[in-house]
Amino acid sequence: MTEPRNPGMSSVPQSNPSHTESSSQAVEMDPVEYTLRKRLPRKLPKRRNDVYVNMKTDFRAQLARCQKLLDGGGHREICVHGLGLAINRAINIALQLQASSQGALQLAANTSTVELIDDLEPEDPDEAGEPMTRTRNNSAIHIKGQDSNPRPP
Amino acid sequence: MSAAKAKRREKKMRNQPANVQYPSPPQVESRAENGGGGEGLHLTGTHDFISAEHLFIPQRPVKALGVSLSRSDPFMYARSRSQFSPLSPCLAGAFARARAAEVSAMLKAATKTTCSSHVFQVLPKHMRRRAMSHNTKRLPRRLRDVANRMKRKEPVKSKSRKFNRRQRKNIWLETHIWHAKRFHMVKKWGYCLGVRPTYKCYRPCYRAMSSHCLLQDLSYYCCIELKGEEDKLLAALTQLTCKEAGPTFAAAMFLSGARQGSVTVYRAGRYPSDPLGPVTFLWRPQTPGLTHRQLWIWAHPALKQDLLPELQSACQCSEAVAPPVEPEVSRAEADPTPRAEPNPDNELKAGAKRKRRCKDGSEPPAKRILGDGTRLPTSPVTWRSSSTGLVINDLTMEIIRYRLIGPQSHSVLAETLEAATVCDVSSLQEEFSPLWWPEHCKDQSNMNLHQQQTDVFNVLKGIYSTGELPPGTVLGLTVDDPRLTLPRQKVKAVPCVNQDPGKICYEEKRNQLMLQGVPLQCCQSFLWERSVRDNVTDNKISEQDAKNQTEIEDNQTGWLISMMSQKHVDSARHRHKSSLDYYRLYLSKVPMFSFLSLQVYREVRVSGLHMSLKHSQNKAAPHFPHDYPDCPAGSRFQEEQEAEFLDMFRRRPPAKRTNYIKQGCLAPFRCPWQQLAEEWELLVTDGGADRKGDVQTQMTRKSHEVIEEVTSQQNVAAASPPSCFTVLRNRRSLRLLSSWCRPPTCRGQRRGRGAAAALPLSDSAVTSFHAAHKMSVVWVRLTLLSKGKPEAHAMVCAPTAEDLKLFGKSPENCGPQEPPHKDHYKSRINRKKKSSKTATPSQESDNPTASTDPHSPSDLLQGLWPDPLPSVVSHCSRVTLGWVTQGDFSLAVGRGEALGFVSVSGLLHTLLKQPPELRGTLLLRNPTSLHYRFVRLNIDV
Repeated sequence: MTEPRNPGMSSVPQSNPSHTESSSQAVEMDPVEYTLRKRLPRKLPKRRNDVYVNMKTDFRAQLARCQKLLDGGGHREICVHGLGLAINRAINIALQLQASSQGALQLAANTSTVELIDDLEPEDPDEAGEPMTRTRNNSAIHIKGQDSNPRPP
Repeated sequence: MSAAKAKRREKKMRNQPANVQYPSPPQVESRAENGGGGEGLHLTGTHDFISAEHLFIPQRPVKALGVSLSRSDPFMYARSRSQFSPLSPCLAGAFARARAAEVSAMLKAATKTTCSSHVFQVLPKHMRRRAMSHNTKRLPRRLRDVANRMKRKEPVKSKSRKFNRRQRKNIWLETHIWHAKRFHMVKKWGYCLGVRPTYKCYRPCYRAMSSHCLLQDLSYYCCIELKGEEDKLLAALTQLTCKEAGPTFAAAMFLSGARQGSVTVYRAGRYPSDPLGPVTFLWRPQTPGLTHRQLWIWAHPALKQDLLPELQSACQCSEAVAPPVEPEVSRAEADPTPRAEPNPDNELKAGAKRKRRCKDGSEPPAKRILGDGTRLPTSPVTWRSSSTGLVINDLTMEIIRYRLIGPQSHSVLAETLEAATVCDVSSLQEEFSPLWWPEHCKDQSNMNLHQQQTDVFNVLKGIYSTGELPPGTVLGLTVDDPRLTLPRQKVKAVPCVNQDPGKICYEEKRNQLMLQGVPLQCCQSFLWERSVRDNVTDNKISEQDAKNQTEIEDNQTGWLISMMSQKHVDSARHRHKSSLDYYRLYLSKVPMFSFLSLQVYREVRVSGLHMSLKHSQNKAAPHFPHDYPDCPAGSRFQEEQEAEFLDMFRRRPPAKRTNYIKQGCLAPFRCPWQQLAEEWELLVTDGGADRKGDVQTQMTRKSHEVIEEVTSQQNVAAASPPSCFTVLRNRRSLRLLSSWCRPPTCRGQRRGRGAAAALPLSDSAVTSFHAAHKMSVVWVRLTLLSKGKPEAHAMVCAPTAEDLKLFGKSPENCGPQEPPHKDHYKSRINRKKKSSKTATPSQESDNPTASTDPHSPSDLLQGLWPDPLPSVVSHCSRVTLGWVTQGDFSLAVGRGEALGFVSVSGLLHTLLKQPPELRGTLLLRNPTSLHYRFVRLNIDV
């Protein structure tokens, strides 16, 4: 999602004990020698009223989706999740929803930390040896919006 | 009555009641003695009718009737005998009894089916339905019971001989019959393969790929096994690859056996020219006690005929070995069939008679795989070298390979497969079992390994998707027959992530697995052992038994499976990542037919060749052999494709054919890469001095001069070996080029690492780059910026400065137009036609123009440029850089997307001229259109 803030913050030793020194190299690794590949964040089961906000989809489309869930989707409560760069957008969506509901939508935000995994592939595989993985953390936000209006009959 | 008619009648009468019997007065009994004569008396339909007539019209002169009916009707006979006596009470009784017997006979006849073959034949035509004999529920309810009874009675005919005959030319996969019922099949590369399902499912398949699971049978891929000492193997294999193009066979992560790798193979020592094609490979993890290593190389069947000789020469394995030789253990039970000399693939197509290979007399005749599609059954499969001790084994069609694409493929596998149950060792201790699994269970170390693998697999069940594992992970596993755990109903496999939220150790284990992948010892599998593979194949449970689920001991056969998780993270930055994860499943040969239906029970979609092409398009990866024009298999494919397109073009009525000359399209059915590379080479070397000038006009002028040069050169070069164009695969150069293609303000530039970030696009950098990669083309992805759907063989062109100015003003601008070209050949063809009409009577008066004309009328086809082509680069108002090999509307991006090659020199030349903020903006034009569209160029490394 975003750039790693702290490269090599926690490098994990390989299964093979002889490679521990190669993973300690990762801290001062040469960017030329490794290719960084980011894995997808871990997914969790998704309910109907969970909205995961991303930076690829158009903002208006995501807002409309949330609005639809609240209005016609029959949900009193929705959860908007955003990770990393998308935190801003998630907050934005939640506030827009609140504004459009004339204050009827009550928001409760929670933050969390998500552990992400990067793969470091050596550019010259014969010499550098095993590929490495490292974990880094990223912030996430989970905004719960609840419609406090009495439901129209 | 003819013999056939009699036969038919006999068949019809088979189920009729034999005779009419009723409690007999004495005279009738005597009649039966007189006229019976054995089985002669049948009460048939016609007789029914007549006797009924007789019943209703008793006044008719009996004598005549009696004559016409002769002695077939007992009552008639009785009456004719008692004709002269007056009616008596006794006769009335006999009369009633006779009628009763007739009625009962009639009833009996009516209840019996008259036709024996099919129940639905009793129905009138308008009530018959398709596949009625297959599905009895389509019959009216009153007939269902009978149909069911008949269905059960029908003996199961063995079709294996017929099947054997039918796959003499093109081999069937294990799942052929399953596919043939549901797919459009083609005969390709010596196999019968499914292209696409008969029902409409393009979008559902895409959805399955991106959000659920799509299954493909890739068993037609060929596996070549190499055995020998590690350093000797590596020494041989390093000739075929180069480190510059990515990790090779020797890369440490692959050599351990924990990961599966892929590499492009070249002819020995010829990098960067003469590539053969892409292969994937897997090393067997080092087994304690064995010095030899084992390596599987998986190649496309179109590639195999080039790859195998190259491997043989690299390993110096020229001696064909009659029985397969195992370097570590000599096996007596190995295949004893003597094998003849190797035969090239094309002999197979010649339709030579092939002998059926039968291994032993004892072997069941149902065993139906005859060699494989890429070689003759009699050709050798093993070669060894006396000097190096390396052994090459051709394992094609011995291992089954599946591909599961999609994020939920993981959950599908976790639900389908169950690690094999361990046999009770104490009960097995005394007798020797012919099955490998009970034998295997006796060894405690084996069981420890199995336990470890099972643990890993159980942890895997808690992972949501394949993407969370390290790419290329391998897990060996022995599983129970999955048919025994078949769900009764179709269920959708869903991930079970929070199975045990309380268990902290589980959480830890999962994290460890995600970080480090599967531990090395768990990658070991008995799939590598030929004897075990054969044992599993021979002792498989038949389909029928599995269906009935009759007392199958779970421990009978352990299926062997080795799973690979594959993920291509490359180029995935802006794309649907989830659609790129996939699993590869290697299985020992088991009735795979059922495996497919097992998967379908878990709502998995099955797809064919068409979808695998679309999958690689989604990944923006080149697809073999379509997108490897520099490989021999790729060029063969291009020729075939051109012939096919040309044939399609010819089949259209002339008035409906597109005039490609008017559209300014030189080669609508093929891409002359060689000519493109040569022309750009000449242009750049000549135009290097005055590059600063107006290049567009200079180019057109120059290239017109060049045409003659090129065409004359071609004639010269035909004799001398020409330097062939190559596809740029050097990773470092690709990365550099990729960074140059992006506008410097773009986010990508910031993340551009290493050399790419250090070296900005400049004249000197371009010159040095060009010097390093002469005559090369590069694989690019083009995304349309406005509407439009690109097609194959569309032209990629460089925009002029005015175009870019227009584009800068309004990016939604649709793009420039190509002025229509003039077709000079049309008038020539017409003239030819006329002259041939008039000239036919006077053949001798030779047309002087015909001899001077370079193009004879026969090879002139209206609307197509005749060979040799003029300059392809400067034919249109915009300079051509390359062509598209695959293009379609991409569901993943929501826009048109095209994949193809452009000339490196041309691309660099164009990039230098473009303003930095619009760098990488090109034009794309379909062969059938005059409209250019703006595209954004991306090079994925």
